[in-house]
Amino acid sequence: MLRGKELLLAFLACLVIAASYGGVLLFTQAVPAASGFYGHTIGILGFVLMLITETLYSLRKRSRSARWGRMVDWLQFHIFTGIVGPFMVFLHSSWKFNGLAGVTLLMTGVVVFSGFIGRYIYTRIPRTADGIEDPGLTAVMKASALANARRLMSLWHAVHIPLGMALFTAAFAHILGALYYATLLK
Amino acid sequence: MNNKLGCLSPLALVSFFLAALALLVAEILNGNTMFSPGALHAAHVEIGDDCGQCHAPFWASERMTERCLVCHTEVQAELGDSSTLHGTLVKGANSTCQACHTEHAGPSAALTVMDTAAFPHEVTGFALAAHRTRSPGIPFTCNDCHTESISRFDAQTCAECHRTLDAAYMEEHQAAFGAECLACHDGVDRFSHFDHLQTGFALQGKHQNTACSACHQNAHALADFQGLAATCESCHLKDDAHEGRFGMSCGVCHSPEGWKPAQFDHNLAAFRLEGKHAAVACENCHQNGQYKGTPQDCYSCHKADDEHNGQYGTACETCHNPSGWENATFDHNLSRFPLTGAHVNVKCENCHQNRVFKGTPTECVACHREPEYHAGMFPGQACSQCHTTTAWRPAQYTGPHTFPMNHGQEGGRVNACADCHQPTLTTWTCYTCHDQAEITRKHTKEGIANFSDCLSCHPTGQEGEGGGDGDGGGGDD
Repeated sequence: MLRGKELLLAFLACLVIAASYGGVLLFTQAVPAASGFYGHTIGILGFVLMLITETLYSLRKRSRSARWGRMVDWLQFHIFTGIVGPFMVFLHSSWKFNGLAGVTLLMTGVVVFSGFIGRYIYTRIPRTADGIEDPGLTAVMKASALANARRLMSLWHAVHIPLGMALFTAAFAHILGALYYATLLK
Repeated sequence: MNNKLGCLSPLALVSFFLAALALLVAEILNGNTMFSPGALHAAHVEIGDDCGQCHAPFWASERMTERCLVCHTEVQAELGDSSTLHGTLVKGANSTCQACHTEHAGPSAALTVMDTAAFPHEVTGFALAAHRTRSPGIPFTCNDCHTESISRFDAQTCAECHRTLDAAYMEEHQAAFGAECLACHDGVDRFSHFDHLQTGFALQGKHQNTACSACHQNAHALADFQGLAATCESCHLKDDAHEGRFGMSCGVCHSPEGWKPAQFDHNLAAFRLEGKHAAVACENCHQNGQYKGTPQDCYSCHKADDEHNGQYGTACETCHNPSGWENATFDHNLSRFPLTGAHVNVKCENCHQNRVFKGTPTECVACHREPEYHAGMFPGQACSQCHTTTAWRPAQYTGPHTFPMNHGQEGGRVNACADCHQPTLTTWTCYTCHDQAEITRKHTKEGIANFSDCLSCHPTGQEGEGGGDGDGGGGDD
């Protein structure tokens, strides 16, 4: 992945997905239904992107033994999938925002928004390529600024991760409901 | 550094439990509503949040369609009946209700989602090829024909609408073919403004106003109509006044404008119509509609016209031709009495009185009474011994004659009878040539008193006969 270009790449990926959505819209003359082939596909792919990368990122971040990839790349991948996945889930909604599905989408939006804030706070603290605070650089920071940044980062973690947890709880309930009541609407 | 997974942090676990609790509370308070993608239609409001009434769990063997049919028994009943919409549309066990029907779009949203314009109506057995628009720019809607229910169709609907287009035609058409329009019509073929010429048989003349059923009897399917041969006899066999005697090429004489007048070219027949025959009415010869086998000899028709009363047989054409009886070209020379000489210009009736031809005597006396000139002088002798048909005179008498008939002539010529015999053959005179005054003077001078009978002294008229000087005859008696 091009380092530092994750927002641009995510934007381009969203454009491609939006183009495919527009193509389906034009071809079928109808909004792709959430239960249709296209709607289901982008919903499932978007959720898998969200679930897997978030989980992998979390595992990589906390693992002591497994050291695959540099943390800065993982974060960029996390940001990329954290934008593209929710965008696909958003298109899966077929512009209906009621019920559990609507709540889940709303929470997805909240988590993504919090992610943007988190990225901003994250960059306040100088880090090495492995995501560890750079002792050399932090040493030259004003002590108060560093302390504020560390406090904010900690607070943000305390919000972003539980929000994500609530999101996945709602998402699983939505998925289980769909599986139970309307598995491919047979 | 905190090495626990983020999702297992106390706050995350609290968040999980809170979210789960919220879902539980929502489920208790609102039931399955939270799983609903939208409100049900008003017709389904009784179902409420009992998703399972329609939605079968994925492990169940039945599908949503089976659950629809649990309530929609009327559709279930239609499925086996091909006269119904669902009975026609639903083909195969894999058909589903949701292929056309939808839900969760609100209390008043349409439950049937299908493009009515693109609906393949032909699968119902009736294509809409000719029913696209009611009038220019105004398309048909389903309700126009399916007035009561989209899944039902009353054949009367066809008749009611089409009666407004052409009431008289519909009356006749239904009387001929019945009221079950769909038994014949499949909507594919366009029967209004139907151009019969397309079939290769143009409707002309009286055919234009003939009812379809008059020719296409008991025809219902398209194949029935196409099965009718485009020949006259396929419809008109029973109309054949000639009873087949003229074959089946009616068009040679007749046209669709009517049986009469027929344009029969009699000259194609063995008996050409020439002269006065061309103007004769057909039935004069062809009585009782009998045409074939009509005899071609004159007498068959003209027996009553025979003014010869059969005297000349029946071969009228020997003398007569069709230009008229009067224009007979009788060759009298073919008869026993060839016309020669003056006979050529004699009128027929001079000899053939009372139009009696046969048996007319050929003897001259039958026509020519013996003249007083030689009455009774040649009993039993034929006129032709002396006379020819060229003229009575000169006659060629060669019989015994005491006095030379070439008297006074030269070169073998003979005198005409009348030169001497006047006024009849029984009398004679020499004074036609010999001047009586001169004869009288000469005989008186010679002292011959009686010289009234010249031949007593001059029996042959030769020179020196009777003692005379031979200067002109006369005699001394």
